[in-house]
Amino acid sequence: MAEKFDNLEEHLEKFIENIRQLGIIVSDFQPSSQAGLNQKLNFMISGLQDIEKCRLQLNEINVPLEVFEYIDQGRNPQLYTKECLERALARNEQVKGKIDTMTKFKSLLISELSKVFPEDMAKYKAMRAEDPPS
Amino acid sequence: MFSTLFGQSDAQGPPGSGALGFGSGKPPPPLPQSQVSLSGQLPPQIGDEGPMLRKPGASNEPFYLLRDLPVGNELTGNSNLITHYNLEHAYNKFCGKKVKEKLSNFLPELPGMIDCPGTQDGSSLRSLIDKPPVCGNSFSPLTGALLTGFRLHTGPLPEQYRLMHIQPPKKKSKHKHKHHRLQDPLPQETPSDSDPKKKKKKRDDDPDRKKKKKDKKKKKNRHSPDHPGLTGSQPNSSSLR
Repeated sequence: MAEKFDNLEEHLEKFIENIRQLGIIVSDFQPSSQAGLNQKLNFMISGLQDIEKCRLQLNEINVPLEVFEYIDQGRNPQLYTKECLERALARNEQVKGKIDTMTKFKSLLISELSKVFPEDMAKYKAMRAEDPPS
Repeated sequence: MFSTLFGQSDAQGPPGSGALGFGSGKPPPPLPQSQVSLSGQLPPQIGDEGPMLRKPGASNEPFYLLRDLPVGNELTGNSNLITHYNLEHAYNKFCGKKVKEKLSNFLPELPGMIDCPGTQDGSSLRSLIDKPPVCGNSFSPLTGALLTGFRLHTGPLPEQYRLMHIQPPKKKSKHKHKHHRLQDPLPQETPSDSDPKKKKKKRDDDPDRKKKKKDKKKKKNRHSPDHPGLTGSQPNSSSLR
């Protein structure tokens, strides 16, 4: 899996470097640079071919759309991962608090009801003990 | 919630509320505690509209509408999900240390001004999703006839297009990238500089350009001991020609 990404990354780096050099040639063009320019253009096309081949290996990769918003704003996409983890932890703590509160409430309710309706609660507890969750 | 577990003594529900186990007619009055167990034994015609909520043989049970407990799930919010999914390392990596804000910190090798929003120069990924490019065609190399379309005019680019190559200053790249990367798109010694008309144009254009050239000269002099001790205060040096 990591090899597929490494392969794609390598091709992309070469492609970007080629484009950068193309830009330098074009920024102050000389007649003697024409051959080099033609070569760079064909390198660009072969680079696109290589990237196209990598695309087939990465069909199953899913990227969350929110990451694209971060990149479009010029922000580090690792911040998205960080915020996801922080939100997950906060939500985990929130749900744990609810579960703990409900558990305490249940035990308190059962104990109070047992004081008021001892026979019925004894039957209820026996029934619950007989029938585990299906 | 309590009414569904233990029945409702003061029910004034509409006749159509049979799904809750309340049949037509008056509900029974509240009974003393010792007779609670008998109250559950109702005649079958009352509450027949809600058999799906009763357990089999529920008519003998003392409790109305005692539902089965939900299936217990091993994994709930009660457990630490980050530990469960072995994400402690990722958590410490992203949340333990400070993550830098800019995109250029994530991709330091990428040229160009990448910290600017993509909407400014039309390079946003969102536009790629909204208007996907044409795919499926094959890539074929350019032949001689097609390459004639790429014959360019000599000389530098117009001013408004030059900024694309300027990279933001990088603190780390001083020693590594100095020798094998061309930071400056403007070459120092080119055959076109021998043209006297162009020379005049260049000198007249930007005072900033002169300063940049002076700095480059100084750097060159530091690295090449063969050069005479030229200082930056001599604009009419041979390197300009």
